[in-house]
Amino acid sequence: MLAIEAVNLTKVFGGFRAVDGVTLRVEEGVIFGLLGPNGAGKTTTIRMILGLLKPTSGYVRVYGIDVERDRRSVLRITGYMPQHFSLYEDLTVEENMRLYASLYGLGRGDAEERIRELMDEFMLRDFRGRLAGKLSGGTKQRLALAVALLHRPRLLVVDEPTAGVDPPLRRYFWGKFRELKERGVTILVTTHYMDEAENCDRIALMSRGRVAAEGSPLEIKRLAYGGDIIELVTAGDPRPALDGLAASVLEFEGDGSYSRVRLLVPDASEALVPLTRELEGRGVRVVRAYQVPLSLEEAFIRLTSRG
Amino acid sequence: MRRLGALAALIVKDVKQLLRDPRSLVMILLMPMAVMAMFVAGYGEERSSIPIVVVNLDGGPVSWRLIELLRSSGDFRVVAYAPTAEAGVELVRRGAAYAALVIPPGFSESVVRGRSTRVVTVLDASYATVSELVWQAAVVVVQSFMKAASEEYGTFYIDVERQTVYGPKVSSVDSFTSTIMGVLLHLVPMSLIAVSISRERERKTFEQLIMTPLSSWQIVVGKFVAYALVTIADMVATFGFAVYVLGVRVAGPLPALVTVSLLLLLCSLGLGLLISAVSRNQLQAYQAAIFFFIPSMLFSGFFMPVEMLSPAAQAVGRLLPLYYFLRAFRSIQLRGWGLQDVAGEVTALALETAAFLAAAVRVLRLRVE
Ligand SMILES: Nc1ncnc2c1ncn2[C@@H]1O[C@H](COP(=O)(O)OP(=O)(O)OP(=O)(O)O)[C@@H](O)[C@H]1O
Ligand SMILES: [Mg+2]
Repeated sequence: MLAIEAVNLTKVFGGFRAVDGVTLRVEEGVIFGLLGPNGAGKTTTIRMILGLLKPTSGYVRVYGIDVERDRRSVLRITGYMPQHFSLYEDLTVEENMRLYASLYGLGRGDAEERIRELMDEFMLRDFRGRLAGKLSGGTKQRLALAVALLHRPRLLVVDEPTAGVDPPLRRYFWGKFRELKERGVTILVTTHYMDEAENCDRIALMSRGRVAAEGSPLEIKRLAYGGDIIELVTAGDPRPALDGLAASVLEFEGDGSYSRVRLLVPDASEALVPLTRELEGRGVRVVRAYQVPLSLEEAFIRLTSRG
Repeated sequence: MRRLGALAALIVKDVKQLLRDPRSLVMILLMPMAVMAMFVAGYGEERSSIPIVVVNLDGGPVSWRLIELLRSSGDFRVVAYAPTAEAGVELVRRGAAYAALVIPPGFSESVVRGRSTRVVTVLDASYATVSELVWQAAVVVVQSFMKAASEEYGTFYIDVERQTVYGPKVSSVDSFTSTIMGVLLHLVPMSLIAVSISRERERKTFEQLIMTPLSSWQIVVGKFVAYALVTIADMVATFGFAVYVLGVRVAGPLPALVTVSLLLLLCSLGLGLLISAVSRNQLQAYQAAIFFFIPSMLFSGFFMPVEMLSPAAQAVGRLLPLYYFLRAFRSIQLRGWGLQDVAGEVTALALETAAFLAAAVRVLRLRVE
């Protein structure tokens, strides 16, 4: 089942097309990353998906429910953590949690239990009496995530949850996301950290209001480079021997006796061994052969800097 | 020199910021002009005259000449001719007219015979400014009548006698209590609640709030009740201070007065919420509240009874909650009326409150744009 079906979303502010024909289909139970440079339109897309902004055109269904027509049913199964801290700074941690438990219609006993659970899970117990406005950045984020999860949503939408968060807590957050995913929760997340994005099952890369690329992190990287990259160290120059093979030379470095070549192949895991054998068969001695790990960051920059 | 440069930069920055906020700019430029225009429209040339009742117990030709002069003076408008003095006074008591002019029997004959006689003005003391106005205008009319008529009938003298209902005299503290309460119960709650929703928008808390399955009516009623609870405490304190510390006179039942005040408070909150629902930010909401308060001040009977304003201003006045409040409050406080006597005003306030709340629910968009 599709957790999110957003079709042809467009948002025009004044004359400016902040989001321009974005279509996203997010399967139930996946972690879906929405990436893109500042101003790409991620937050605007999220807001349209949640019915916080009315799309100029296009429509959204969440678990099959039309957001425009029955937003309240969507809200009951959706948790949202906005990009900017949006809880009441003049209420305490506990007051905020109780308030939202009531607003989501949790019964008394259920609310108590849920608040206790989440306070433990997100290490909020020590801060329960503190005004939310006086919390540190990381604690604010923990509180915001806890509140977004109060009503046990089936869809969790988190907009840059780890901005300004220290590395251990970032890791903790992603651990939580995976836990939630295992319990069947769908997660739509935006981030500017590429190491985090590697954890997503699928990624949509946005640029200037459009989806520039979509797929698993691996697919995105292949798309950016045009395939995988393998590196060979050989005795002598292997280039003449590469003729007719499905590999193109990206880089070559040789000192006369040994050479180092970077090759672009469609799929490294399939190509590495056969290619090495073929070269050996053609009389090239391969000293080392390995896949070069591609960085998502590089892929991101390549894909988004294109005109 | 460098300090001056920094200062200049600061000034340029502030002027730029002012100029880039078109709504505030419109407010700054338009507000004074709008206020002046409203003032002229309400209080300018086209002013209405004071409604009075005439009781002509004489019926002779001279008495009709006096009445004619009275009408042509432009200060008065005769809304009724009563057959007896009691009936005339009753009309003033009921608030149908601000004064009754009683011409006694034998008036014409006394004038023709050159004897001294009198006319009686019965004034509504609960409207101190108007009764003073009526009194002065009546004296002027009678004097010019004496001057004009003496050429024809020879010398005679007309004494203008002064009587009051709800009087004899209302102290200025008592007389201004309704005005002060009106300002407090209208402006304070209205401007307070007007910024409530826009503050949530500005602080971004609205974005999280509307991700819960709340409906607009819950948000509107929630704010309404919360602000009512807080401002009612304020109202009770003000009331207690006025009555028990300042010793303001209350001729009618205190619960009736409190009910009317409470209704204005709720109505102001409703109006403020409507402003809040349509405003995008706090500044705009605040300015709108103040802007709305100006016609309230000019056209609700604050300075002068609405009946004496131009017809257009009267029409506006009858839409304002403060108009109904001032009428009801004065009647209870100074005339000693009960709640049933101001049922019309009470109903109007209640209906307006409901209308404002319903409109606020309708216009409140659960979106962040
Ligand atoms: N309410 C608005 N009115 C006008 N323009 C807007 C509005 N909201 C967003 N924009 C513009 O739309 C574009 C997309 O903004 P959006 O916040 O969706 O980007 P984003 O991808 O979330 O960026 P970031 O990574 O910085 O959060 C930006 O150019 C922004 O200036
Ligand atoms: Mg954003």
